[in-house]
Amino acid sequence: MAVTATQEGNTLDMHVSPLGRVEGDLDVRVKITDGVVTEAWTEAAMFRGFEMILKGKDPQAGLIVTPRICGICGGSHLYKSAYALDTAWATHVPQNATLVRNIAQACESMQSNPRYFYAIFAIDLVNKNYAKAEGYDEAVRRFAPFVGESYEPGVTLSNKPVEVYAIFGGQWPHSSFMVPGGVMCGPTLSDITRSIAILEFWRDEWLEKIWLGSSVDRWLENKTWDDVQAWCDENESQHNSDCAFFVRYAQEIGLHKYGGGVGNYLATGTFFEPSLYENPTVEGRNDALISRAGVYAGGEYHDFDHMRVKEDTSHSFFKDYGLLHPWEGRTEPITPEEGKKKDKYSWAKSPRYEVEGHGYIPLEAGPLARQVIAGREGAPDHADYDPLIMDMMDKLGPSIFVRQMARMHESAKLYKNTMKWLSDIDLHGSFYTKPVEHESGKGFGSTEAIRGSLSDWIVIEDGKIENYQVVTPTAWNVGPRDDQSQHGPIEKALIGSPIVDAEDPVELGHVARSFDSCLVCTVHAYDGKTGRELAKFKMGGM
Amino acid sequence: MASLLWLQGGACSGNTMSFLNAEEPTAVDLVTDFGIDVLWHPTLGMELGDNAKKIFNDCVSGEKPLDIFVFEGSVIEGPDGTGEYNMFADRPMKDWVRELSDVAQIVVAIGDCACWGGIPATKPNPTDSNGMQYLKREQGGFLGTDFKSKMGLPVINIPGCPAHPDWVTQILVAVASGRAGDIALDDLQRPQTFFKTFTQTGCTRVQMFEYKQATTSFGEGTRQGCLFFEFGCRGPMTHSPCNRILWNRQSSKTRAGMPCTGCTEPEFPFFDLAPGTVFKTQKVSGAIPKELPEGTDHLTYTTMAAAARIAAPKWSKEDIFVV
Repeated sequence: MAVTATQEGNTLDMHVSPLGRVEGDLDVRVKITDGVVTEAWTEAAMFRGFEMILKGKDPQAGLIVTPRICGICGGSHLYKSAYALDTAWATHVPQNATLVRNIAQACESMQSNPRYFYAIFAIDLVNKNYAKAEGYDEAVRRFAPFVGESYEPGVTLSNKPVEVYAIFGGQWPHSSFMVPGGVMCGPTLSDITRSIAILEFWRDEWLEKIWLGSSVDRWLENKTWDDVQAWCDENESQHNSDCAFFVRYAQEIGLHKYGGGVGNYLATGTFFEPSLYENPTVEGRNDALISRAGVYAGGEYHDFDHMRVKEDTSHSFFKDYGLLHPWEGRTEPITPEEGKKKDKYSWAKSPRYEVEGHGYIPLEAGPLARQVIAGREGAPDHADYDPLIMDMMDKLGPSIFVRQMARMHESAKLYKNTMKWLSDIDLHGSFYTKPVEHESGKGFGSTEAIRGSLSDWIVIEDGKIENYQVVTPTAWNVGPRDDQSQHGPIEKALIGSPIVDAEDPVELGHVARSFDSCLVCTVHAYDGKTGRELAKFKMGGM
Repeated sequence: MASLLWLQGGACSGNTMSFLNAEEPTAVDLVTDFGIDVLWHPTLGMELGDNAKKIFNDCVSGEKPLDIFVFEGSVIEGPDGTGEYNMFADRPMKDWVRELSDVAQIVVAIGDCACWGGIPATKPNPTDSNGMQYLKREQGGFLGTDFKSKMGLPVINIPGCPAHPDWVTQILVAVASGRAGDIALDDLQRPQTFFKTFTQTGCTRVQMFEYKQATTSFGEGTRQGCLFFEFGCRGPMTHSPCNRILWNRQSSKTRAGMPCTGCTEPEFPFFDLAPGTVFKTQKVSGAIPKELPEGTDHLTYTTMAAAARIAAPKWSKEDIFVV
């Protein structure tokens, strides 16, 4: 376990290295005063240069290259890179192809939820700091790595939804079967029936049996926080589910009290109503979405407009250009040594969004953001309107707990939608319309990876890629300060976190992992005054 | 009982995600049933932080025996040979890779990036990414041509983008069950048992390949024909068991209508993704595929193809993968 710490005075500077491992390594530095985090810096610690590799390449190179940015949401990368080309080339996408793309995107997300919850997040719930909690023994029985009763089925059964991905796309991870104009596959009857059977198995064995203890439909009747609390104690089966246990235990250990973040949210949306997006355009995108796009800032909803997205590199290891829209975006690295002289500290850029009256502000992306936007009234019939998480936000405010509930709530909705899309496929219809490969064009494609908004901006000139910029959910959430010194969302969420045991600050792990940006956590603590290393801490383990 | 340490360099975690899809055995079974002692892995909740670093150091010093060192991702050497594009636990990752490789009984490179540099090493290779013992097809890589692990083996390459989980789990079970001696390697240091055959071996489109019948459109167009002639499928030139050991227990790219991109070969992504090369067969004289199945020449091929087309029965030109 953790090495002994000697604290001097009431301030600790901690260097957390590495903290994250989703798109490379993430380090975090925090300053802790009187047991509360008072300052934070998130530092992406790896650079691979994908946007530089794409320049000058075949216009379709993004279909192969961008999924390899992240093997955890590679299918999401494929999805939005296909739409970037669809909009650039003004393709026709048959309704069946839209359905297949929706199904594939949803299956990747359904895979990710249990895998993330048990393998990444819930391990922290059995941290020895909670040994005195009433629910601790039960947390250990359920969530202990490898041996927990829910851990093994949760992690193992997460492979089922991506079996469906493989039926349509050949494999998961890293297929490139979505192409401008549709999809490569021509599904057969048994592709559909087998997919239905696999997803029903996943629903039976994990979603209903282990996570909910109720039917999916019963869970989806919950529209308010009061509903959820009543649901938890409605019967023995629901009471004993992982979900209801998490609701009780999270409140017992205080996960509803911190980790709120910037309080402003972005969803670029995903899943298209097939009849409304046969001719994908950037302008027509918002109206065709099922999981809607939008921005919630300063307590108000705003329509999403991609032209308001800009990236800042003032604290990133890249040359400074001021705020640039991704179509004009540039990726020219400088050495960390050189960058540190200019107060730069991360390989992530800082995406910002212009909200009238607020300027360019950081926004949180992810399941919480999606469900906040889902709570906006006035949705058209085809789109998702869902007040549950917004009600929890009203009652509890943003926190680690609400962020987790938003994410796991989506499992039920993803399942329902996917089953509908499977039943809507017309096997005798078309899945592809060959596009005209224009010599030039500009495109924007976007989706919601399970961990948040994920977008490509492509500029094609003379039959090759002139510029390609990818803005990931990790950049939205993990990005460093900007030129206005505004913190990135995780930095902001870390500030204010209580640290009960400075030798094992599991709270930092909860916050960072609730954004799903974090697979590995290490804490190095330094004396605030002398910089001398005091202790090194292990986070999140047993 | 075998100890295993798994690190990620210039990686996307795709091989880890693929690994977690495994069944028979699952990743959890490897630990609980096969006694693989996972000293550390970035995703699986093992010892972390200072304890993790202590494990690496104990391995390097010899205090803790390291049986299997698995590396995923490219070895990043930039900028200017410093490796600072990829820092890990306060050091360039490449320094950990060197020291841990020297003490491991067996070194396994998993995925293209670790085997040969992969996508990060695609021109212009902005991070100076290298493979463990190859850079693309050139032997040497980061560890050098002469590198041998403690057991006297070169790096075992398990390529693919990503590698199929079984290619990894079965090798680990082989090592754990005392069958390491049965792992024969090909001339690119890949386990022969997986990589002697071609991606095309077992492909459902192989009859249409034999009769030279082309798929001419994606989507419903892939209900017929073979993807080699128009869509750049590399199945006949690529060594992998993708159509013998199916993906996610269900299918393969070529079965699902997607051309093989040759991702178990060092040149992936082929032609450095130059304009006009993605999902398009490169041809000579506008008609004959430039690259042919291994071991054939253009004269023999065109002669055989002409005969095959004459011999092609009606069904080989029709939709065969029907509703």
